[in-house]
Amino acid sequence: MAWSASKCFQALFVSTLNKDTNVMDLDADTFKAALFDNTITPDRTVSAANSAYAAGVWASGGVSDASGWPAVGRNLASVTSSASAGTYTFDAADTVSANGTTTLTNAYGCLIYDDTSSVAVADQGVCFNYFGGANSVTSGTFTVVWNASGIFTVTV
Amino acid sequence: MILTPEQRWECPNCTHTDVTHEANPHTRFHPCRGMKGLTAPMVPAGTKCKVEAHEREDYVAGEIVQTDGEGRPVMNLITTRDDGQDCTVFAPTATAFTQ
Repeated sequence: MAWSASKCFQALFVSTLNKDTNVMDLDADTFKAALFDNTITPDRTVSAANSAYAAGVWASGGVSDASGWPAVGRNLASVTSSASAGTYTFDAADTVSANGTTTLTNAYGCLIYDDTSSVAVADQGVCFNYFGGANSVTSGTFTVVWNASGIFTVTV
Repeated sequence: MILTPEQRWECPNCTHTDVTHEANPHTRFHPCRGMKGLTAPMVPAGTKCKVEAHEREDYVAGEIVQTDGEGRPVMNLITTRDDGQDCTVFAPTATAFTQ
């Protein structure tokens, strides 16, 4: 198995609706995007603990550049959390490597996680986005352009 | 006195040019008619390079993906320079449905 889709974690909704301790705040917390290769099989149905960065399938398969795109990921900037016409959207500005000399090999997707909450589940996952294939950069800039529909959406 | 550097940009696939005044490292993007309407990165003026679009390597399978002007799902744009390579990835939207 490997990457096959872009999904929200069900634990995101369970934690939020149950108002778990120190549950994530989507319009105030700091979020990160960490890159992964194709050796992992993301699963949207895992527990909150196993959706977290460095836990479950996210404990291995990381793709990183020490200074350009570290293993813990790059911060999301200008995060927005809003709803309109029956669709909730979580979005941010495009995420760019920290420098123009970044080298990354075979990034197949990314984990979006909350870097602020630390009590109930530290670094709990929000969603994972599958790029659709291998993406590499050699001594250059790596940019993730988020879709016009947002990083994740919920249709109600 | 703080000097604001001027950076001139050009697109290798169309005639679009731009100028920015930003101290931090950044890349300028524009909707490129030479890349079938995709939001493409520009390069510092005078840079010898090529920018190529690569189609998604897997089935779309209901994913909300970026498509070009001909409806093809695009995974990334690769800018190849003499001294390296840049990658612009178009990330699909993660979804959850409650209908």
